[in-house]
Amino acid sequence: MLSVTDVHVSYGGIRALRGATLHVKPGEIVAVLGANGAGKTTLLKAISGMVPCTGEILFKGAKRPSSTYRLAGCGLCHVPEGRRILANLTVLENLQLGAFSRTDKRGVAEDLERVLTLFPRLRERLGQYGGLLSGGEQQMLAISRGLMGRPDLLMLDEPSLGLAPIIVKQIFDIIREISSFGTAILLVEQNAFKALSICGRAYILSVGEIVKTGAREELLDNQTLIQGYLG
Amino acid sequence: MLAQQLINGLSVGGIYALLSTGYALIYSLLGFSNWAHGEVAMLGAYIAVMSVIAAKLPFVASLALALAGAALISLVNEKFFYRHIRNNNSPTMFLMIAAMGLSTTYKNLIVVLVGPKFKYFPQILPFESFEFCGINVGVLDIFSIVVSLAAIVLLDVLIYHTKFGLGIRGCASDSVTAELLGVNVNRYILIVFLLAGGLAGCAGVLLGMKYTVYPSLGNVALKAFIASVFGGLGSIRGAILGAFMIGILETLVSAYVSSGLRDLFTFGLLIAILLIRPEGLLGKSVEQKS
Ligand SMILES: Nc1ncnc2c1ncn2[C@@H]1O[C@H](COP(=O)(O)OP(=O)(O)O)[C@@H](O)[C@H]1O
Ligand SMILES: [Mg+2]
Repeated sequence: MLSVTDVHVSYGGIRALRGATLHVKPGEIVAVLGANGAGKTTLLKAISGMVPCTGEILFKGAKRPSSTYRLAGCGLCHVPEGRRILANLTVLENLQLGAFSRTDKRGVAEDLERVLTLFPRLRERLGQYGGLLSGGEQQMLAISRGLMGRPDLLMLDEPSLGLAPIIVKQIFDIIREISSFGTAILLVEQNAFKALSICGRAYILSVGEIVKTGAREELLDNQTLIQGYLG
Repeated sequence: MLAQQLINGLSVGGIYALLSTGYALIYSLLGFSNWAHGEVAMLGAYIAVMSVIAAKLPFVASLALALAGAALISLVNEKFFYRHIRNNNSPTMFLMIAAMGLSTTYKNLIVVLVGPKFKYFPQILPFESFEFCGINVGVLDIFSIVVSLAAIVLLDVLIYHTKFGLGIRGCASDSVTAELLGVNVNRYILIVFLLAGGLAGCAGVLLGMKYTVYPSLGNVALKAFIASVFGGLGSIRGAILGAFMIGILETLVSAYVSSGLRDLFTFGLLIAILLIRPEGLLGKSVEQKS
């Protein structure tokens, strides 16, 4: 599905990503764990073409398009850090914008129904401005908006950030449910134990480098290592 | 008398609205005031008047030419100037300065190429005015109201009721996210400049017909800019509302108070709005909440 090989990103003199290599197979949930500033967001931005990078990024076996706006149409949806809900568009308009690259009206209507079933709270708020939603609702909307692109791979940047534990639990349950429909998920998180509770494999990123990778059980067994890197 | 003044105010307001919506569109996408916008209108007026006087084209053809020409000039401003400044990550102030430079350049270019003298449209409409329910109605005013209203309604439908408009509003709200969701932001910006330019060209022709065509015709765009601040910077519907308010206010002040005090009232109202309601009449305060 996704294969990232030796990707480097620098911001001016700061080398934020130094040779990241990872892959995601169809239907998998893969987590990238790391402390604040480890380079997780930068990794997703590199995959989406939002920052210039070197290295190779293949999506579904081909080079990913170089323009960011083409990715959604190819089946790669990126739910950005901080949710980035369009504040003065309504909830429905946010969702419609998520399906912007699609032309299959029937499919879009089906997917709208599907995300509203996943997140019934959004249905009550369809006509409200996105900026008026609570943090948890905004995260639900951000994920739903990503799903409206009917992605083969959904990339989530810290969906738990700033949310109450009970909301985080709801959101992670739904991420697992989304994966059960066959969508592959690349989940970036600081909240390692939460992420390890749903992923199959994980990579640990520290100061721009992938320092450890393994299956979920293997990493869970090695708590001192996780604590070392994630504090 | 009052009805007559209101018609006059609506026709002026409609012209301001053609300009203020363009300001608002560009401001909402790029966050800067496009000071060259008035000159795009001025150039549109020159294209129309020269093609009527010199090339003897029929009026409709010259109007079409003016819209297309103004749209193209607006596109050139974006493609060859503003875009490069944005790509250099320069401060927004640089965009405004570039726009001022373009504004002066266009004015001087016209003085050099066409000359500083006023140009007049020949009598195009079949007659100047008619009596309706005891009031004397200017045909040009009605023509101007019809044309500007039609353009504004079309624009409103486009922005608020189509997928294309959703894309524009998405870019205006957060262009980085809109791009992630599949909007080709740079292309949308180009189309917005085309649209804004076409509207400005239309305004220029109507202004030229109402008054005359001269190199600093574009200065009226200042009023349109005020209208868009008035309505809430970046809000299209606010810009329309603000334009009609200023158009009517100006006409009434000229008629009943003094034409010399007209601008005093307009600018006074602007300052009052900025002090009391800085986000403008329809400006979004939603954004500040999130
Ligand atoms: N736009 C930027 N300009 C300069 N440095 C940046 C920028 N974005 C991130 N960085 C730096 O790159 C490093 C990685 O940041 P980021 O990818 O945001 O980490 P994370 O998402 O893991 O918290 C940090 O040291 C951060 O300060
Ligand atoms: Mg981050």
